[in-house]
Amino acid sequence: MPTSDELIELVNAVALRSDRGAFSALFKHFAPRIKAYLMRSGMAPELAEELAQDTMVNVWRKAASFDSERAQVSTWIFTIARNLRVDHFRRAHLPAAADDRSAALGADDLDPLTLAVHDAPGPEEEMIAGRREAAVRNALRQLAPEQRQILWMSFYDEQSQTRISDELDIPLGTVKSRVRLAATHLRRLLQGIES
Amino acid sequence: MIRHHPGDELLLACAAGTLAAGEAIVLGAHLEGCAQCRASVRLFEAAGGTMLEAIEPALMLPEALASTLATIDRIPAPVARPAKVPLRRPSLPPGVKWPRSLAHCAASRWRWMGPGMRWSRIRVPHDPAAKLFLLRIGAGKSLAKHTHRGRELTHVMCGSFHDGRALFGAGDFDAADESVRHQPVLESDGECICLASVQSPLVFDGMIARWVGSLVGI
Repeated sequence: MPTSDELIELVNAVALRSDRGAFSALFKHFAPRIKAYLMRSGMAPELAEELAQDTMVNVWRKAASFDSERAQVSTWIFTIARNLRVDHFRRAHLPAAADDRSAALGADDLDPLTLAVHDAPGPEEEMIAGRREAAVRNALRQLAPEQRQILWMSFYDEQSQTRISDELDIPLGTVKSRVRLAATHLRRLLQGIES
Repeated sequence: MIRHHPGDELLLACAAGTLAAGEAIVLGAHLEGCAQCRASVRLFEAAGGTMLEAIEPALMLPEALASTLATIDRIPAPVARPAKVPLRRPSLPPGVKWPRSLAHCAASRWRWMGPGMRWSRIRVPHDPAAKLFLLRIGAGKSLAKHTHRGRELTHVMCGSFHDGRALFGAGDFDAADESVRHQPVLESDGECICLASVQSPLVFDGMIARWVGSLVGI
C-alpha cells in the first residue's frame, strides 16, 4: 500500500507531467475502493464500476487543483466520488428537461463546501487539513469501537442515521450522541484542543 | 458572532453526502460564514477518506484502466461555459447577500403571507422536489406558535428573532423537529430573512397555509 507521501507524489506527477504510469498506480489503488464504496451505498455493480471510472477521470482532470496542504489524497478522491454519487442520485430523479439545465452544473457545484469556500481556509481548517493520513488513522484507532462504528456506517454502510439506529437497535438519540463523542475525540486528538 | 451551529450529526451527514439537496443548501449557507463548522466537515471528510483505505476493495473489470485512459484521451479542450442566464430572484435589502450555496437557484417574487410577512419559493435545479424557501418578516412581528413535522433547517441571513428558547441572529443555524414548539418573535432591530428547508411537501403547504391562516384569522 502506498504511503501518503507517495500518493501525493503520484498526484503531482499526473498534474505536472500528465504521467500515465502515476495515474495507473492511483487507479489500481483507488478505483477498486471507490467501486466498493459506491456498491456499499446501494449502487448496482455496473453503475459503481462506471462512476468509479468517472471518479478517476476527474482525478486526472483536477490533479492540478489538488493541494496537499488542504487534504490528504484519499480524502480528496473520496470527496470527488461522493460528489459524483450525490450528483447521480439527484439526476436519477430529474425529468429530462430539468436534467439539461442541471447538466450545466458540474458535480462539484453541488458540494456545499466547494460552493461555500472560495476564500483561503481559516486557521482551524488548515490545522485539520494539514494532518497526514497517519495522524487521522491513529486518531480513528483511539476512538471507542462504537464511535468508530457509527462513523464507518455513516460513510460506508447504512448511511442515514435513522437506518443506523434501526440496524444497531439503539435510539436515534444514542446515534447522535455517539457522533458527537466521536467528533469531540477526533478534534481533541487532531487539534490538541477541547471543544 | 454566530451563536447557534448545526449539530455534529448534520455536519457528518454533509461530509458523507447523505443530506437532501435542500438541506445541503441551508447547511452550505451556514458553512459559508462559519470556519468552525467548515473545519468540522473537513474533519469528518478526513475520517471518511482515511476509512476508504480500510474498505474491502471491489474487483474492477479487466479493461477498466484501459477504458479510463481512453476516456482521458478523448477529453476535449475546456470550452467556456455557456453564458449564464441571469437567475430570477426577488430583491434583498441593501447589504444582504445571496448565499453562495444558492448560486444556481431561482426564487419567486416575494409573496404576501400577512402584514409585514412575505415568503419566496426557491427552485433547486437539481432537485425540483426540494422544499426550500425564504421567509422575510418585518421588525417586531411574530409568527404563530407552531410545531414541526420532520426536520426543518433554518439559516438566518439577516435580522434576529427570539423564539422562547434562544436568540437567533445573522449566520445562526437552527434544526427543529417534532419536539420543538416555538413562536419566533422578531427583534426590533430590523427585518429578518431566513433560508429554510422542510422535508415533506405536505408540511410545506400546510405551514404556509397555517401561517397565512393564523394571520388572517381563518
